[in-house]
Amino acid sequence: MSLTLTLRAQPPVRVDASPLTPERCNALNSMRVAGLPLRCGRETVQVGDLFEVGGYVGDGTLTLAGDLRLLDRIGAGMTRGRLTVSGDCGDRVGAGMGGGELTVDGAVGAYAGCEMAGGVLRIGGDAGARLGGAYPGARAGMTGGEIVVSGHAGEETGAGMRRGLIAVGARAGDGAGLRMLAGTVIALGGFGNHASVGQGNKRGTLVSGAAVEPNPFRYAFAARYRPPALTLQLRRLRALGLDVADALIAGPWARWSGDTTELGRGEILIFDEEES
Amino acid sequence: MTEPFTIGSTRVEDTFAEAFPMRFTRLVITAASDGWALEAARSATGFATSVIGCKCEAAIERLLSASETPDGRPGVAILLFAMDSEGIAHRVLDRVGQSVMTCPTTACFDGLPDGDKTVPMGKSLRYFGDGFQASKVIAGERFWRIPVLSGEFLVADTAGVGRGVGGGNLIIGGRDEPAALDAATVAVEAMRGDGIALPFPGGIVRSGSKVGALKSKALPASTNHQLAPTLRAQIDDSLVPADVHAIFEIVIDGISEHAVRECTRRGLHAAAAAGAAYVTAANFGGKLGEFHFPLSELRDPPAGRLKTPPALASADGERGES
Repeated sequence: MSLTLTLRAQPPVRVDASPLTPERCNALNSMRVAGLPLRCGRETVQVGDLFEVGGYVGDGTLTLAGDLRLLDRIGAGMTRGRLTVSGDCGDRVGAGMGGGELTVDGAVGAYAGCEMAGGVLRIGGDAGARLGGAYPGARAGMTGGEIVVSGHAGEETGAGMRRGLIAVGARAGDGAGLRMLAGTVIALGGFGNHASVGQGNKRGTLVSGAAVEPNPFRYAFAARYRPPALTLQLRRLRALGLDVADALIAGPWARWSGDTTELGRGEILIFDEEES
Repeated sequence: MTEPFTIGSTRVEDTFAEAFPMRFTRLVITAASDGWALEAARSATGFATSVIGCKCEAAIERLLSASETPDGRPGVAILLFAMDSEGIAHRVLDRVGQSVMTCPTTACFDGLPDGDKTVPMGKSLRYFGDGFQASKVIAGERFWRIPVLSGEFLVADTAGVGRGVGGGNLIIGGRDEPAALDAATVAVEAMRGDGIALPFPGGIVRSGSKVGALKSKALPASTNHQLAPTLRAQIDDSLVPADVHAIFEIVIDGISEHAVRECTRRGLHAAAAAGAAYVTAANFGGKLGEFHFPLSELRDPPAGRLKTPPALASADGERGES
């Protein structure tokens, strides 16, 4: 049985939930966990004021439950262990994660997995803007790890991404891969505004499971082929629980190279349904 | 050496096989079909019979089904042995670069992720991409995508290296050449399996050697005259029994002492069951290697049925189908 924190009621203002990481809570008993301080707006409250603390540290898993939409930075900075969340969350879930597994069975707000460096972040619902991206003004976003979203993702997914893998089971919003340095963004349901896909992409890979027409001023068609690395990535996503069709693994994929206004070593891979 | 013993009607010398430590790596080669995977594996393990003359010893370990490989395609596991990690590094680079990357549809993976060392593979081969190569880290492992004429060659960044055992052996004699070859062939089929490389053609050596030479100080190895039947009447120290007129040797490299021991056991009993007249083993009085495999300790047959060999030749007709 894991240590479970169940939200009693909606907090009056937004709460910074970043202290609730497995490595921190699993070192404490339930009474001490209930005494941990949390920033709640301009005030500091105790975990026990907001949550009912139950269970005990058994398998190293921490579970949060309830309507957590006013709780930000859940799992932010966690480096190990498992954190599972039953319900929807606020912004910056798993931001700056360095390791471990964070699983959310609901939707998350903006900046989930921002500047993440390692570990696995699974989101069962939709994700907000700048998934795995950089904060405003920052150059680099995610630098490692894996983010898997079963639903849709918001605007500018993977903006400024330097390394790692972001996979979206449905559709990613406008501006995916904005100023991407490297890494991979996969959207099985395709991308939003096609012209904005991969703007400023240097060496990154954007993968669309649905038809996309890349901006012809930035991307040029190269070839149709079966990318072996993409096969591995899609199989990896299956292992992480994402529903990936056999046809996508079999290919073929059309490769577009760009952004030619930048380094030009990036790519957009588009599933070629007609040739499959 | 004490008195020989028998297994069935086979006379077995009470001697031991001597083996020595080697370094090894396992590579997993996949391709669009069994046939192309085998083409690459055979090429990569070609001319790798003896570390003396070929700088490494290599062989196909087994065929892999699509469900056993990282990319879900048919594959082949090969084992490559050398005297040290540096030797492994050079040979991996040569053989993956010249025999695997060049073969249509292949990809090459590290089959020994838990090895105690690693040597560069894609990390060095990537330069063939002339600056157009790219890497991806997938599930914590780095791979290189090297652009080639049919798309991309995918290769793991490094290959794991482990400590293995090389130079194990079994020597099988018969009343004539066909009989000895039949027994040796049956033994090879039983000996192949996980963790084992039989690096000579078809797993069998007909030119068994001794260290050094009688007539030359320059030769590192020369024919094992004591086991050459045609010299029986010409030398005083022939070891060939009177009823034996042909002998073959099987050289065994394995990933562990246990693997080599059990492989030798399988071979000994399979050869006896196939009607071998004579079985012995080569050693150098214990001076060459730290691993000794006395045949007398292998009298008990292997547990279970003799293993069915992998069908290495069955996929030939599938080459090119994807």
